[in-house]
Amino acid sequence: MALSAAEAGLVACQSCGLLSRSPGEQLSRCPRCGAGLASRQRYSIQRTWALAIAAAICYVPANLLPVLTTQTLASSRSDTILSGVAVLYTSGSWPLALIVLVASVMIPLGKLAALAYLLLSVRLGSANGARDRTRLYRMIELIGRWSMLDVFVVTFVVALIQFQPLMASQPGPGLPFFAAVVILTMLATTSFDPRLIWDAAHD
Amino acid sequence: MTDQSDLRHLPEAIAVPRQRARVSAVWIIPILAALVALGIVIHRVWSEGPTITILFDAAQGIEAGKTFVKYKDVKIGQVTAVQLSEEPGKVEVTARIARSAAGLLVEDAQFWVVRPRIGLSEISGLATLLSGNYIGFEAGTSRNERRSFTGLEVPRIVSANAPGREFLLKARDVRWSSAGAPVYYRRVPVGQVVAYDLAPDGKAVDIKLFINAPYDKYVSSETRFWDVSGLDISVDTSGVELRSTSLEALIGGGVAFDTPAYADPPAPAVDGTPFTLYRDRTTAMRHPDAVATPYVLHFDESLQGLSVGAPVTFLGIPAGEVTEVGLSYDAATLDVRPRVAIILYADRLLEKFPSNLKKGRAVVQRLVEKRGLRAQLRSVNLLTGKRYVALDYFADAPRARLDLRREPLELPVVVSTMPDLEAKLASLLAKLDRLPLESIGADLKNALETLDQTMKNVDKTLPGVQTTLEEARRAIASVDRLATNADTTLIGPNAPAQQELRDALQEVTAAARALRVLADSIERHPESLIRGRLEKE
Repeated sequence: MALSAAEAGLVACQSCGLLSRSPGEQLSRCPRCGAGLASRQRYSIQRTWALAIAAAICYVPANLLPVLTTQTLASSRSDTILSGVAVLYTSGSWPLALIVLVASVMIPLGKLAALAYLLLSVRLGSANGARDRTRLYRMIELIGRWSMLDVFVVTFVVALIQFQPLMASQPGPGLPFFAAVVILTMLATTSFDPRLIWDAAHD
Repeated sequence: MTDQSDLRHLPEAIAVPRQRARVSAVWIIPILAALVALGIVIHRVWSEGPTITILFDAAQGIEAGKTFVKYKDVKIGQVTAVQLSEEPGKVEVTARIARSAAGLLVEDAQFWVVRPRIGLSEISGLATLLSGNYIGFEAGTSRNERRSFTGLEVPRIVSANAPGREFLLKARDVRWSSAGAPVYYRRVPVGQVVAYDLAPDGKAVDIKLFINAPYDKYVSSETRFWDVSGLDISVDTSGVELRSTSLEALIGGGVAFDTPAYADPPAPAVDGTPFTLYRDRTTAMRHPDAVATPYVLHFDESLQGLSVGAPVTFLGIPAGEVTEVGLSYDAATLDVRPRVAIILYADRLLEKFPSNLKKGRAVVQRLVEKRGLRAQLRSVNLLTGKRYVALDYFADAPRARLDLRREPLELPVVVSTMPDLEAKLASLLAKLDRLPLESIGADLKNALETLDQTMKNVDKTLPGVQTTLEEARRAIASVDRLATNADTTLIGPNAPAQQELRDALQEVTAAARALRVLADSIERHPESLIRGRLEKE
């Protein structure tokens, strides 16, 4: 097994990539760019847990509260994400329903599950499948931002569909929660230090 | 293993002294998220009002999740479910009401479905054509909370909280087509008919009126209400009158009220005392006639055109009305006569008419026996054929006695002038009828035909006439010429004819002279005619 930088008392700057000697337990800064240095991201596990839990909390109202309220002359209706999926499905456009379901419901949930799995495996010092877990991590990092699509769609709809008094639409209270879920999971993903996966494999 | 000398070339990181926290500050985020989510849940639970059920006959236009409950046009709730009720034939609508309106859900709160209603007199709820039906709500005044209600099928017209008062009217019938008809005071709409229904005994119609504040103060115990529905066409002694309060009332009906000027100082109307709804203003505002004296009249002519309610005039002044028109049978004489019962309001005519019955009768007796007071049927006008009873003095009427023992008094009558007029008219018509109009017509027709024929002939001969005329003209011209010739031959001073004429005349003169001589000689010697002339006697 190759020598890790931490074992050699070295630390790499995450900003400029400069490798420098670590001054021990103390906090340190990069001698070239001045960015904070840490051999492993500090509180990575804690921070990821915190953000993931926050995201999980926000996930509930994000799916229960309506994200979009549309008013027409005759009626006014509020849709949650799931009811929107149902409407899309019943109106025949099941591919769209599938996309929304996957991007807005499954992916945030999957991300949270994946993060929990990674955190637990690091915690338990599992050495199995470290490579697969790293791949999983890269995938959730890549895929996370696409959930934001919903927020953008709603934003556009609200901005464009304003034909008072014939038709109007307003964002629902669920939307900020949904955005919070997406942002928090993204933050949680970045705050997770994938090097921790390998630390366990190293031991 | 590690090559220490290689690593020494690397720069050393700058140490930053800092105390280490055991717990990351990032935990604030989930706590914050949890607090916000909890806040929302608490808010939801807190603002969640009661769930109520309303029974309707039909759930027309009511949809779960789409129909709102509105109070004063503010959404206070939403229908969550519509299902058939356990009560047969009813629909149960479940609605969630906002917490802010929970206090309004009391025993006498009312619900009804607002849908477009287009009636003869009202068009309402048009907005619901676009917005969909909704459930209207009216808060009650009771303090007892309630969660299940029965919806009204007809929307409330007047808000329960509207300032004003409700009044009850009793009427024989109603002429308007729907509740909501306006109530007028001096032609100003001041209220509405809230509801009307048959009285429990079925013998009258109970009408509920709502008069808005501050106009309700004009209703006193002396106020009269009357119906202003449709057109009032009245035919009476003053002719034909046509009235309508407003176009709205003309179509949809209405009620008007006023307080007569002669009324006692008006006392405020007592709640719950029903007013009478009169037929029209005249009836309503009529003075309450204190003394109505009945009389009977036995006419000896047809009562055609006389109806109950027809006026009775006394010397031309309206003094009463006909109450009964019928026949009477006299068993003693086996006679059937028209009988008319009338009532007279003596106090309408005279303020000081004796109210004492006996004295009053004495007055009537004197009028009948000394002044010749008689009843007579008269015609309002010839066109309508309506008749009324007139009481007038007929000084030359045959004497009559008033039987004071009879009850009611029978007034003597005189034959109306109308039958004569009618008879004359009839005989005139009969004469007209007898005229041989047809044969006259036929003759006239023949004459005209002949004339026509002649004219045609003339037409044909006219060209001939023309040539004749031409010839005549020429002849005349010849005559003219002839005359001129004659002129010169005969008339001129040297005309040969004249010369000859003169000579001829001289000859004639000479001849005449000879004749005279002859005559003389014959006279002297008549014998000479026989013997001849004696030479030289």
